Amino acid sequence: MLSAFTLHQPVSVTEASEMLRHYGDDAAIYAGGTELLVLMKERLVHFAHLIDIKQIPGLSSIAVDDAAGSMSIGSLASHRALERSPLIRERAPLLAEVESQVANIRVRNAGTIGGNLCFAEPHSDPATLFVAWDAHFTLASAGGSRTVAAADFFTGLLETAREPDELLTGIDLPLLPSGAGSSYQRFKTHERPAAAAAATLWVEDGRIRDARLVAGSVGIGPERLPATEEMIKGQEPDATLFARAAELAAASVFIEEEGFESAEYKRHLIGVLMKRALAQAAERAAS
Amino acid sequence: MTNHTYTPGGESIGRNVPRIDARAKATGETVYAGDLQIPGMTYGKLLRSPYAHARIRSIDTSAAKALPGVVAVLIGEDVLDINPYYGHAIKDRPLIAIDRVRFAGEPVAAVAAESLAIAADAVELIEVEYDPLQTVISIDEALAADAPHLHVTQLLKKGLFHGLGDFNLDPGNVCYHHSFARGDADAVFAGADIVVEGEYTFPGIYQYAMETHTTIASWNPLQDEVQLWSNCQHPFLVRAEIADLFGLPQNNVRITVPWLGGGFGSKSYTKMEPITVALARKARRPVRIANMVDESMVTTRRHGMNAWMRTAARSDGTLLAREVRAWFDTGAYADNGPRVVATGADAAPGPYRWEAVKVDSWGVYTNTSSAGSYRAFGASHLQWAGELQIDQIGRQCGLDGLQIRERNLLTPGEYVRPGGKPLDADLIGDIRQAAANLGWGTPKPDNVGRGLSVGLLAAGAHPVSTAFCRMEADGTVTVYGSSTDMGQGVRTVYTQIMAQELALPVSRIRVIGGDTQITPYDRSTGASRSTTLAGMAVKRAGGELRQQLLDIASREFGLPPDALEIRDAAVWHEDESRSFPDLIKAHFGMVGGELIGRGEVRPEQGSGSYAEGPVFWEVCIGGIELEVDQDTGKVRLLKTASVADVGKAINPDQVEIQEMGGIMQGLGNALWEEMLFDPQTGQLLNSTLFDYHIPTFGDLAVEHASSIVENEDGPGPYGSKGVGEGSLAGAIAAVATALYDAGVTIDQLPATPERIWRAMQKERME
Ligand SMILES: Cc1cc2nc3c(=O)[nH]c(=O)nc-3n(C[C@H](O)[C@H](O)[C@H](O)COP(=O)(O)OP(=O)(O)OC[C@H]3O[C@@H](n4cnc5c(N)ncnc54)[C@H](O)[C@@H]3O)c2cc1C
Repeated sequence: MLSAFTLHQPVSVTEASEMLRHYGDDAAIYAGGTELLVLMKERLVHFAHLIDIKQIPGLSSIAVDDAAGSMSIGSLASHRALERSPLIRERAPLLAEVESQVANIRVRNAGTIGGNLCFAEPHSDPATLFVAWDAHFTLASAGGSRTVAAADFFTGLLETAREPDELLTGIDLPLLPSGAGSSYQRFKTHERPAAAAAATLWVEDGRIRDARLVAGSVGIGPERLPATEEMIKGQEPDATLFARAAELAAASVFIEEEGFESAEYKRHLIGVLMKRALAQAAERAAS
Repeated sequence: MTNHTYTPGGESIGRNVPRIDARAKATGETVYAGDLQIPGMTYGKLLRSPYAHARIRSIDTSAAKALPGVVAVLIGEDVLDINPYYGHAIKDRPLIAIDRVRFAGEPVAAVAAESLAIAADAVELIEVEYDPLQTVISIDEALAADAPHLHVTQLLKKGLFHGLGDFNLDPGNVCYHHSFARGDADAVFAGADIVVEGEYTFPGIYQYAMETHTTIASWNPLQDEVQLWSNCQHPFLVRAEIADLFGLPQNNVRITVPWLGGGFGSKSYTKMEPITVALARKARRPVRIANMVDESMVTTRRHGMNAWMRTAARSDGTLLAREVRAWFDTGAYADNGPRVVATGADAAPGPYRWEAVKVDSWGVYTNTSSAGSYRAFGASHLQWAGELQIDQIGRQCGLDGLQIRERNLLTPGEYVRPGGKPLDADLIGDIRQAAANLGWGTPKPDNVGRGLSVGLLAAGAHPVSTAFCRMEADGTVTVYGSSTDMGQGVRTVYTQIMAQELALPVSRIRVIGGDTQITPYDRSTGASRSTTLAGMAVKRAGGELRQQLLDIASREFGLPPDALEIRDAAVWHEDESRSFPDLIKAHFGMVGGELIGRGEVRPEQGSGSYAEGPVFWEVCIGGIELEVDQDTGKVRLLKTASVADVGKAINPDQVEIQEMGGIMQGLGNALWEEMLFDPQTGQLLNSTLFDYHIPTFGDLAVEHASSIVENEDGPGPYGSKGVGEGSLAGAIAAVATALYDAGVTIDQLPATPERIWRAMQKERME
């Protein structure tokens, strides 16, 4: 049961940021509301002021900058829009694939990518994917804007590097060159995934030049696995290597004791999923 | 292949008559309890206990009462002028907590206010001081020698509808014990070639009807009249309990039942009605209490269970004996626990020919929400364990799942349990059909398992139903029946039966129902009984009306009734006919008047007691093919097969949909659903769909094949018998046997990927 609140509808980032500064802890940004309103209905949180950012123009665009080799996505784009965008399907098909699995159709229709990332729920699919994809996020306030790497954005459980008066306005995604491949593997028994693994591999002359490997949903946020990355760099991508890498990933990942699955099982799952992600990423890099 | 399409004016039995409620439901016009607005209605909200077991030291409602818009606040001391304990089996439950709470979520105070928001705010202003008591959350804790007792069992009184024989309880947390034995089990086990044995765990599960419990009550203080609008399955039993609780004559209590958004047992017997009536009595205004999902989840659920079972056989695969002990967690209050315990025990041996059986089952109180009826109760808890043991024996004897069942299944006329009704179904034919639907015997990879299961469910409950029908002067007919249409389509079936009896197109028939002041007595809607029993009452009512038409026509034609025939909405002698309106006019002389037909069903012999029953044995068949991910333990369902042994399918589409719905729900029971109570606090941990997974279409098998068996061997109209529960129990058990076929022996449901993975790890190590 929702308690009463005042709805504000700013039409610019500056206006929204000023409202945030003005109302402080009494205010929250309201995008799709799929996280926020649920918490408010359950009376777990209360905000006297909701700042609806959906009237701000230009925050849901999806575009490719070929010269920069990157794709930019507005934070208000819904999961459904990302899943169905012909541009994303063509230029970043893995994102469309992952987005098509997020939540359910109702949440995908209303929920925005920005809301997903700013909520920093540890089981977020796009968060894990974006860290493995080395995406960068743009944060803007009345005072200006700055760019933060995805890996630096997620700072803890439901915590991000966003300042209270900042809005997440956009996401920059590097387009993978040929010879690079990426994969995202998730395992779920309930609404949100229980474990996930993302891998991006850059392969040159039959060897792995660079790798970004990320475990998701099992900790307090996406976790990069540097030791496992080091282990496979410079090696030839093959099944034996990936099996060893998966073992190391499983052994080294941090597991939070929560949810329905035991820590032991989640650790095991990270191994299984990482092995599958590596194999698929290598296959995509080769094609 | 028969053509099941319905053509108006033709035969309506065995035809796919479209659902009479389909259009209104698809367009959102259907009125549910929560849509009703009663003049002067207030909105109720409950304060529920955070403690699983505590004494209430004090309740301060002053701030809540002072909030503008609050009409009344109800607490335990407001109901001490009546005997506030109810329960159709055991009167163990106060309608609102009185000095003690026994589960987390138990209503402690109720607020009626001008709006729901005010009521919700007021609830937060109520201050309650509790002294926490030692809790018993699990069955084991409740049965421990030093466990606190939830009730003074020796002082508890039998409810109005206990129906299960002797009632005297020893001190402790057991609210019911059911046992039976035949033959000398110990001796047979001692001499058997093969014995398999196991311990099994079944979770508490929520029925998950889409619509939550919603009740509106109004109390007229001048006449002591109570009116209720409630989405209940058994309005007459609720009426009796309300009348009993508040000391009113039954005809001063009126319950109107709107269309239901699902029941599955969650709305059987009395649930939110007593507290709503008590709040309306205090408020002197109508009040609506509509549960949120998390509140409905602690209003009722399926029993969790621990069991031990062993089965003995000869090395040639002949089954010899089975012994079962099962403990059912009924939560803080018995609700329908005693009957669940009894039917669960009865189904435990399975439909096989035994030299000896020995079964004991107990209902156990714990500090969790109370458990009651859930679709296919009885068969669901133990069929899977029993069927798994059948396949374990089969494997040791070199018999596959079909062969060992063919060898041992009961045949029609054999006794299922000592006393009661002998078997009334061709189980061997049924299981062969299920195997055929599954592609039994065709090659498959190692990680794919195929499983069959068969069981029986004591169906029908008490065989008492009445109905009547009125034919108006224009020849249209209204059927008055009290079965609750909760989505199963019962009103459509009554339309068909009446259409058949009176040779009318279904469009000329209307069914109204579920109003205790208007529609006649029907014991309950559950136990797959509505088509079989209430349907029979409808058929008889139609038959009586038909006879009246023939008698009138006989006078008009000057011919004996047997020279006449009813067809195409008229009475005929050769090619001469008189329409129904003609006959009614002839009978009454003027333009008005109506004919009334009455039908009743009551026990054909004996008292209709549980021991003499059941009305029929519902067949619980399942067939499943699934694939197990060897790395993660995740199951992918490839094929489900069902066989509906229904005697006669009055509406084949509806039968098939019942089968599919039952399977879907059974898959939820077997693979995903489990209510998790915190072992310390007893609070329900997964009360939202985020963390409680019910099956969605995406979870279903790639393929489904169903068959309908029509041997016209049921006690219902046209040889029919009920359907709707069997496939659920069958599906649960077939998941267990299919997993076994894929190399996974499961002893705890739901069979989550992690549990399957652990079972595989264990198997690999052995
Ligand atoms: C049933 C269900 C299932 C789900 N399953 C999945 C799943 O499988 N995988 C997955 O990844 N996610 C899942 N989610 C999460 C879902 O993706 C998010 O709910 C959704 O994307 C949030 O977006 P929103 O626009 O609704 O956010 P809101 O609820 O409006 O906001 C969420 C939070 O972010 C803040 N916020 C929103 N936008 C901005 C912005 N631009 N700048 C700064 N702060 C902002 C808000 O103040 C709030 O704190 C699920 C959610 C639900 C309800």
